Amino acid sequence: MAYRDLREFLDLLESENQLVRIKEEVMPEPDLSAIGRSAPDMENAPAVLVEKIKGYKTPVVLNVHGSWQNHALMLNMPKDTPVKDQFFELEKIWDRYPIKPVWVDKKDAPVKEVVIEDDINLFDVLPLFRINEFDAGFYLSKALIVSKDPNKPDSYEEQNAGTYRIQVKGKDKVGIQPLPFHDIAVHLKHAEEKNEPLPIAICLGNDPVLSFMASTPIEYAQSEYDFAGALKGEPIELTKSENGNLDIPSRSEIVLEGYIMPREREIEGPFGEFPGSYSGARLQPIVKITKITHRQNPIFENLYLGMPWTEIDYLMALNTSLPLYKQLKRDFPEVKAVNAMYTHGIGTIVSTKSRFGGYGKAVAMRLLSTPHGMPYTKIVIIVDEFVDPFNLEQVMWALTTRVRPDKDVFKVPYAPGMPLDPSSEPAGMHTKLIIDATTPVAPDFARDTELLAVPEKAEEWSKTLRDLVKKGGNK
Amino acid sequence: MKCPRCESEKVNLLTKAPVDDAWEVYICETCTLSWRNTEGPNITDPEKYDKRFKLNPAEFKELDQIPPIPELKK
Ligand SMILES: [Zn+2]
Repeated sequence: MAYRDLREFLDLLESENQLVRIKEEVMPEPDLSAIGRSAPDMENAPAVLVEKIKGYKTPVVLNVHGSWQNHALMLNMPKDTPVKDQFFELEKIWDRYPIKPVWVDKKDAPVKEVVIEDDINLFDVLPLFRINEFDAGFYLSKALIVSKDPNKPDSYEEQNAGTYRIQVKGKDKVGIQPLPFHDIAVHLKHAEEKNEPLPIAICLGNDPVLSFMASTPIEYAQSEYDFAGALKGEPIELTKSENGNLDIPSRSEIVLEGYIMPREREIEGPFGEFPGSYSGARLQPIVKITKITHRQNPIFENLYLGMPWTEIDYLMALNTSLPLYKQLKRDFPEVKAVNAMYTHGIGTIVSTKSRFGGYGKAVAMRLLSTPHGMPYTKIVIIVDEFVDPFNLEQVMWALTTRVRPDKDVFKVPYAPGMPLDPSSEPAGMHTKLIIDATTPVAPDFARDTELLAVPEKAEEWSKTLRDLVKKGGNK
Repeated sequence: MKCPRCESEKVNLLTKAPVDDAWEVYICETCTLSWRNTEGPNITDPEKYDKRFKLNPAEFKELDQIPPIPELKK
């Protein structure tokens, strides 16, 4: 494997010209937010390592996942691999699940090189900064958070490693957002029923496949670590937390250990979220930080999120698409690929062969009854099997040449919605829009259309032309 | 000093910069807004803080709890 942790992945990115360093000192605000916003807007966007931040000791890295090039390198593929090919590679390595982790002793775990127990001040270690103007404070947006079910303290499988937004509220105090439908909320409920603190570990600066899995909607009793191992083709290295018997990545840059205070809520937010608007202030749990462990010369990793596309859209793109594809494929083997990467699947494009007339509409309705598609997906577009759903030019071709609005477009009024979708009204309810952009097959019918074929030898010639360009044009 | 967002006067120094005394961070004990003294007046000045994001502490009790606190189990 080409990398074992964040710093080795950064080396790989740098060797592939996918990382840039900023050596001049910058201000925490507004520079870091502006850098995080600007990087993913570039072609072949690089990760950005900011080496010196005014007033702080630690460097920060932004936009690690923020381009298809970096995403391909994470999957050990050449950086120019098309998205559709990355999707099929992911499908292949997904099936290696589970690859169990290995545990290393605390004394051999890089994340334990430095242990801080007294006078904890998060600002001493983390170069915290405001991500968006009206955020309530300084946020950790890319943390992997580990918790266990207090009713099953020995269950490795039911341990959860997920990403939840964290607002810094003191030197040793943060706020956390466990949404009721996420796994950590189950753990917290069991702890709060007994009025017990829930130990958690907030792990920062991780192997990129760990960040990827922490934001993937897998099943409750599946392990993110076993999936991360599958994606890498080799085990993830874990070690034990100082408190709470949690399994944490041994090669994280920084780990904040602590506990959620039971039965307490405090105002949190607003915070700029992935749909490009702020989500409001609410009463949410509080975490007391009791210990910090970190590597020598740690690197703080965080991400900018806001008006799409930003780093988070790359991070959540294929890990949202793949589970939907697998669920559709089970019942509709004609389905070729699913693109659910627009606004976390609120817009989804499916390519499928049509077994009989109206098949595209049936595929759309199945999508809208999957666990993620039911609340999230609002706009569904179904295209033919030869259309690449990741290629919007081809999808626009399908819309313009295959859709008859009188029969191919329909709505499902007042269906389950996603509250973070600012158009859902009331929040959490929306009307679905389905567009069937497939070619009619019997017993449906249409005017005769014959597709233009690709000229003979085109494949050979495109290879020749690509090689010539690589050589500088044969001048 | 007043909180730029809810105008509470319960404002504390949260921390000073670990290096060079480069800045200070303040936090509002009422609404938990935190800010750095080097940020622009759009963040630090109660007069200039965007009205759409101002908060009234009297309304905090009505905010949703995420997640709700469950019943105690014996
Ligand atoms: Zn305030």
